[in-house]
Amino acid sequence: MASPALLNSLIALTFIAAALLAIVPVPEWALYYRPEWVALVLVYWVINHPERVGVGVAWLVGIMVDALTGSLFGLHALGLALVAYLTLRLRLRLRLYTVLQQASVLLVIIGLQLLLLQWLQILFDLPRGASMIYLAPAMSSALLWPLAWLLLGGLARSLDLN
Amino acid sequence: MIADQRFGYMEHARQALGVAAAPFHWLADTPARIGSSFNDIFVNRADLIEENARLREELLLSRQRLLLAESLSVENNRLLALQNASALLEQEVLPAEIINVSPDPYSRRILINKGSRDGVFEGQAVLEANGLMGQVVQVMPFASWVLLITDANHVTPVEVSRNGERALARGSQRSGTELDLEFVIPTQDMEVGDTLISSGMGLIYPKNYPVAEIISVSRSPGQPYANIKARPKAQFSSTRHVMLVLDATNPDYAAAVNDAAGIEEESSLVSVNSAN
Repeated sequence: MASPALLNSLIALTFIAAALLAIVPVPEWALYYRPEWVALVLVYWVINHPERVGVGVAWLVGIMVDALTGSLFGLHALGLALVAYLTLRLRLRLRLYTVLQQASVLLVIIGLQLLLLQWLQILFDLPRGASMIYLAPAMSSALLWPLAWLLLGGLARSLDLN
Repeated sequence: MIADQRFGYMEHARQALGVAAAPFHWLADTPARIGSSFNDIFVNRADLIEENARLREELLLSRQRLLLAESLSVENNRLLALQNASALLEQEVLPAEIINVSPDPYSRRILINKGSRDGVFEGQAVLEANGLMGQVVQVMPFASWVLLITDANHVTPVEVSRNGERALARGSQRSGTELDLEFVIPTQDMEVGDTLISSGMGLIYPKNYPVAEIISVSRSPGQPYANIKARPKAQFSSTRHVMLVLDATNPDYAAAVNDAAGIEEESSLVSVNSAN
């Protein structure tokens, strides 16, 4: 078991990397399918270290994302808090699932997050898409989940943190 | 908490977090910067010569236009003075660079590398070499967010340069790259190919900057308004350099305009207008 400081800094680093991936400019068409990187990292840490990463941390990270993207304060914070809460409720089951089963649950969780964001955008009259394509990031996130799981798991194992 | 934001109670937190966000934006911009520096390093000599020749030619053409524009603007100012009209063609600009775009595909916004430290203020107009780009909506110490004219929640007051017909250009809901002209009655004279310029109404954008070109007009009987689409002149995706108009909404602006109406020796009118 490694030191908690190392684990904390790894958690912080992965969140920073995810936030960077969330704002790196990509081509126009790819914007609609950009995976919810921050949510992926959040779900991983909530499943593996719920004593460190919970709804509160999710909220703080969400505020950071809001500041980075210049969106309404609290928008992503609320969305990520919802993701953290749902993952916490399903944590014990998720730990027993295979990666593919986890991915299908993640599809639903991130879909719910996007739905919440869409509702908030309607409520506050923010610009939004007219079609169902706003759910596309849930699909791409679920597809990338096995990769994220392996990558983050490998990272944690190589540092002897699991 | 979100409701707080609507009434502006979170402004200080936003400023502080804006400072914290600056290194992130710098990092996220790194691939683009490296890409452009690679372009600078790995470049063909023949390409350079060719580009140089092309730029020389462009410079020559622009000089010639500028000469013409200068005499025209002098004449224009004299005529305006005769009419007692208040319009000033000269405007100072502050160059800035685009360092990020909004990751939200539905809101058309860009981040520029100038903030309140450089005197940027909310509502400031942003131009590009080919036309109007948008306005500053959120100022942080080192960067600011600019709402583009193609955003669905943004409306630009425009007029047709040919005949002065006025209209409101709203960012298209469906495609993020076009403008819809709103509330144009079918009898108004607008045709495909007409250039739309900013009308200066709304007091945010300076007058007479090119905004867009009309690409389709359809008038269907039974509809109260004509359906007109326009394509913005500004190259949103291919440019990195933008200009902030310095004094359009300055309180001293009106006074300066009034002064200028009486002055005739405006021979040094090197305005960004004529560069267009």
